[in-house]
Amino acid sequence: MQKYDKMEKIGEGTYGTVFKGRNRDTMEIVALKKVRLDEDEEGVPSSALREICLLKELKHKNIVRLSDVLLSDKKLTLVFEHCDQDLKKYFDSLNGEIDMAVCRSFMLQLLRGLAFCHSHNVLHRDLKPQNLLINKNGELKLADFGLARAFGIPVKCYSAEVVTLWYRPPDVLFGAKLYTTSIDMWSAGCILAELADAGRPLFPGSDVLDQLLKIFRVLGTPTEETWPGVSHLSDYVALPTFPPISSWSQLVPRLNSKGRDLLQKLLVCRPNQRITAEAAMQHPYFTDSSSSGH
Amino acid sequence: MAGNFWQSSHSQQWILDKQDLLRERQSDLLVLSEDEYQKIFIFFANVIQVLGEQLKLRQQVIATATVYFKRFYARNSLKNIDPLLLAPTCILLASKVEEFGVISNSRLISICQSAIKTKFSYAYAHTQEFPYRTNHILECEFYLLENLDCCLIVFQPYRPLLQLVQDMSQDDQLLTLSWRIVNDSLRTDVCLLYPPYQIAIACLQIACVILQKDATKQWFAELNVDLDKVQEIVRAIVNLYEMWKDWKEKDEIQMLLAKIPKPKPPPQR
Repeated sequence: MQKYDKMEKIGEGTYGTVFKGRNRDTMEIVALKKVRLDEDEEGVPSSALREICLLKELKHKNIVRLSDVLLSDKKLTLVFEHCDQDLKKYFDSLNGEIDMAVCRSFMLQLLRGLAFCHSHNVLHRDLKPQNLLINKNGELKLADFGLARAFGIPVKCYSAEVVTLWYRPPDVLFGAKLYTTSIDMWSAGCILAELADAGRPLFPGSDVLDQLLKIFRVLGTPTEETWPGVSHLSDYVALPTFPPISSWSQLVPRLNSKGRDLLQKLLVCRPNQRITAEAAMQHPYFTDSSSSGH
Repeated sequence: MAGNFWQSSHSQQWILDKQDLLRERQSDLLVLSEDEYQKIFIFFANVIQVLGEQLKLRQQVIATATVYFKRFYARNSLKNIDPLLLAPTCILLASKVEEFGVISNSRLISICQSAIKTKFSYAYAHTQEFPYRTNHILECEFYLLENLDCCLIVFQPYRPLLQLVQDMSQDDQLLTLSWRIVNDSLRTDVCLLYPPYQIAIACLQIACVILQKDATKQWFAELNVDLDKVQEIVRAIVNLYEMWKDWKEKDEIQMLLAKIPKPKPPPQR
């Protein structure tokens, strides 16, 4: 690893430790993700391979750039463009106040990155503030594609435990095995609400049951009428009947009416009724110039 | 990932120029004739196919492994890595990338071992041993990854083929035959030289000729495609069949394998 100087540790990824680094020639600051290699059996972990092959194909300004892969001396290091912080740390720095123009800009960038992934038949599957990187120019980039997968070729069951609970849609919580792009759109909805509330998570469930209850207290408990087939999902449990909340303005008071409308199109229990990334980008929330107010 | 082929690493980095390919092969072609070189690659494509079938891999995974194998030697001499080591390594990598699931190394090695003892005993009569262990395969995987420049998504002709046959509204017999011709095309260089949809069209054309589907001529004439390229592919595949007809693999392969420029002996650990 002569090309880069290793600096301080930034964090732990799905399959390895991330360090800050500096390119010795260009002085460019980068993120070095060192991949733990399982010596005996698997070889290069498939999650790392997945990230390498997807990022090699997905080049977009709202997707973190993989600039290099270093293979030497039985070590594998992925070199990424460096971003100053992730959305979680950004939230922590806010002291509970966010500029609504920033909220809208981040959301639009998230949707642009997602639309690009989805148009290439790639699901992210693990969207959360920790996986959204922010640089000092206010650019937002999707990162950590270790769980992402292409869905072009026959879709079988994916493992159920993939999305951090808080951003996990009800269909997945009920054990749905066929994931589609709608999984990412639910997570995007949770992130929009969290952005608008300066980092207070919308549904911070403590376990699967609590997560479902938190969701249904807001959206209402789904029934066979509102969501045909729900009771046939493998982990379906009948839950108390909650009505949907009457006022979204109480839930996300700082979001304007157009933003609330978009949020309601993202947070739909029935997966095939959720708005797509492409359609969400065209939502009036992003075009109306007066949107920054209430 | 079934995104846009034209923006893919396959299209941008791995459609090679025929002259470059021959130049890269020059050192091997001092020892082997072009025919011999191709015969060795036919043999190892068969090895990959057999290993893949034993592991119950989908054809897509087997095809990807074969393309990795060919891409590696498009940039390397046969002496850099023993093809008998590279073949299972390509299978290992392709099955992870195509998300078939992880094949354990011990299973892979034991399948190599049994293939050498049974299916390919005619080629390895004197040793009857698969000489490599887990550490060799893992080391080789690294080397392979590096030489592929981490370009792991390979577009195959199968998907465009399905669409074309559907568009022609032709029968299953045509699909079955052209599918097999696509499989055979992996024993030529066309996967290194042409985009997959052109290969699909060429294979379909050969199948139509074999099945005497004269009525399809008009359909081909209306395709918006570089017909010269398609003809080059057709020629490469027809040449393969010509060569195959007269080739007595079982009698000749030992001699050919002996001629391969050899790597240094595997490091002992």
